[in-house]
Amino acid sequence: MSLLSVQDLTIALPPGADRPHAVAGVSFTLDPGEVLCIVGESGSGKSLSAAAIMGLLPPVLRRERGTIEFEGRDLLALSQTEMRAFRGARLGMIFQEPMTALNPLMRVGDQIAEVLAVHNAGGARDRVPELLAAVNLPDPTRLARAWPHLLSGGQRQRVMIAMALALEPTLLIADEPTTALDVTTQMQILRLIKDIQQRRGMGVLFITHDFGVVAEIADRVAVMQEGRIVEAGGTTQVLDAPEHPYTRALIAAVPHRMAAHIPAEGRPVLEVVGVRKTFRRGAGLFGGGTTVHAVADADFVLRKGETLGLVGESGSGKSTLARCVVRLVQPDEGAIRFHDTNLARLDRRGWKPFRKRIQMVFQDPFASLNPRRRVSEIIADGPIAAGTPRIEALHRVGELLSLVQLDPSAADRFPHEFSGGQRQRIGIARALAMDPELLIADEPVSALDVSVQAQVLDLLEELRQRLGLTMLFITHDLRVAAQICSRIAVMQHGRIVEQGETAQVFNTPRHPYTQSLLDSIPGRSWASPVTSLSRAAGEGWGGGNVTTNTAQPHQVTNP
Amino acid sequence: MKLFLRAYARNKGAIAGIIVVLLVCLIAALASWVFPYSPWDMQGAPFQPPGDPDLWLGSDSLGRDVAAGIAYGARVSLLIGAVSTAAALCLGVTLGAIAGYASGALDDAIMRFTEFFQTVPSFILAIVLVAIFSPSLGSIVSAIAVVSWPPVTRVVRAEFLSLRSREFVQAAEVLGHSHTTIIWREILPNALAPVIVLASLMVANAILLESGLSFLGLGDPNLISWGYMIGAGRSVIRLAWWMSVFPGLAIFLTVLALNLVGEGLGDALNPRLARRR
Repeated sequence: MSLLSVQDLTIALPPGADRPHAVAGVSFTLDPGEVLCIVGESGSGKSLSAAAIMGLLPPVLRRERGTIEFEGRDLLALSQTEMRAFRGARLGMIFQEPMTALNPLMRVGDQIAEVLAVHNAGGARDRVPELLAAVNLPDPTRLARAWPHLLSGGQRQRVMIAMALALEPTLLIADEPTTALDVTTQMQILRLIKDIQQRRGMGVLFITHDFGVVAEIADRVAVMQEGRIVEAGGTTQVLDAPEHPYTRALIAAVPHRMAAHIPAEGRPVLEVVGVRKTFRRGAGLFGGGTTVHAVADADFVLRKGETLGLVGESGSGKSTLARCVVRLVQPDEGAIRFHDTNLARLDRRGWKPFRKRIQMVFQDPFASLNPRRRVSEIIADGPIAAGTPRIEALHRVGELLSLVQLDPSAADRFPHEFSGGQRQRIGIARALAMDPELLIADEPVSALDVSVQAQVLDLLEELRQRLGLTMLFITHDLRVAAQICSRIAVMQHGRIVEQGETAQVFNTPRHPYTQSLLDSIPGRSWASPVTSLSRAAGEGWGGGNVTTNTAQPHQVTNP
Repeated sequence: MKLFLRAYARNKGAIAGIIVVLLVCLIAALASWVFPYSPWDMQGAPFQPPGDPDLWLGSDSLGRDVAAGIAYGARVSLLIGAVSTAAALCLGVTLGAIAGYASGALDDAIMRFTEFFQTVPSFILAIVLVAIFSPSLGSIVSAIAVVSWPPVTRVVRAEFLSLRSREFVQAAEVLGHSHTTIIWREILPNALAPVIVLASLMVANAILLESGLSFLGLGDPNLISWGYMIGAGRSVIRLAWWMSVFPGLAIFLTVLALNLVGEGLGDALNPRLARRR
């Protein structure tokens, strides 16, 4: 008998939504000791399926039909009280956002003990250190007395896992538990979940949007699209021989190939020398506060026509460095030379002529467009401010929209009428309206679904070639960097620890941090069907002896 | 816009509020047509109880028509409410925008200045100002404006602080827009929603302040107002209750209606909060 069996689950959306059902006729089973991954893009109904199992559906959503059987009992027939006994004790759940999932006013140990106390498990307090040790947290007795805000994201997620596992549930539901975490932390958490699952023989229902994570952890996979499961099967079968066109499209969209860039030999467009930026946090009227070295001594050179990837985890200072280049942040020290001008020395007025030549694409497509202005105004504003006659600037909007593959009729609409991917295209069109030489892209695809991500990356690459752009590309995702960048600079704690040709950094990383980053790419051992082809052509990164037509790789290593 | 109206209409109280406010506006507009005489003139015998076909809300101790007084008083109340709110908004939005956008020392200076005004009890300050500058329409409007701008500054500053770091504002910066363009075109339109809600409550508050001032005899002596009428009827309330009750009702209904409108606007402009209720 299977541990969990969901049959024909259908959840209706409120009238007026874009489709009648959030989840439509979903059926799957999960055996003890098995990891089932539900994969899908945002809005595919994967999280709602998990919420339905836990009985956590939002009140506006109604189950139309279907059954959820857990250990032979119909969960949907249970009363609230009976369900409460199941939750936590037999069914554990981990959420996406570890930063908000813990009560900030309770010590970590007390929160775990509370889970045990609620279910009347004896000796709650004594078991806490043991549970914390089980999720590989150092010094459990001391950590149990810590407040949540003192822990890092990865540590908090471990505490959440310890809480979910406290009563040894037979089923663990993990809803994107690693999405908010850095890549190295993500790998640790994935290994931890896999390890505990094997030790205890739990069933794990793992919800994710990332095929790399699937390759890392799943035994079986179910792919969801618009509320339906379109393909299900064993991990290797689905990943290596996908049958449904949607699955194929999703897998093809996973960034997987190495850019076949010939490194640029042109003259430097941008030279960043010894840039430093230190922030003071929490400093009041009477001093105090802490200093954060966001960027400490960064050097790099960007040559005409190339794409330099600035890679690092959150807090590594990559965004601050990019913002120094466009003067959203004033650097404390160092020179930023654009052709022959030191931008770091210019005042606001002196900067103005360079605004046309250096443009930026932002991360969050939902925050980067003014919600109260029409698309045509958003795009034409820049050129108008730079002195282009209004009529001419508005006239060019249609042309720019078709350049980023949007319909010119989009010009008269407001940003909220567009999807994330379309908004990001508008953001790109806004930057391109200035005819820039240098484009700075700050995590332009990290807020997007994987298929949209692939489209935007292709668009950026095509535009770079067509318009001869030079690009500084900031990302935390090494797979994305590998696909689009000709050179890569790895940042850690505000320093560039390694830089070089993409192929060289990926195949023979020199700095230990780069190595650990590369080892943490989820699904690194998995080569998607498309990758295998490109690898044959000598473009993959998996093999050790990939030869590339490189110039002398230069590297900046920081001891 | 249609969406906004639909969200607003979902709040029944807000609909009632807007109807009452429009009614008060109508009364104020038609005052000189319905009562083609000065509210200060004698229209009949003193202390006439309400119900008389000529004096249907009764007359006061000098035989003046209470209904006419309320209609003409509505003009004064609305005028003072609107003008003083407009003046307070101008001052408050400007200072708040500068403080929130500039941050740093300028922000500190403006906020300390604002706090200085907030520590003084507003009604007392208004009395002092009107008493010093002698009661007139101008001095009353200025006094009310002076005591009611600090909350606007705080709200606008908070909005500016959060909007400032949004990516679309940074994008405008990168596109090379000037500070004024960024403030006017990018930030201000997005900061207006809470200000509009606040403004409707400020009108209500201004009407209350004005009534309080005229009740104490600090109203403009040439204009009849609701507060003045209550003040005049106070000493004879046992003899002629209608002299105080009807103007009092007028104040109560108008202020309540404006508050309901404010709540409805808040719901409509911030639909996510409203649905939770």
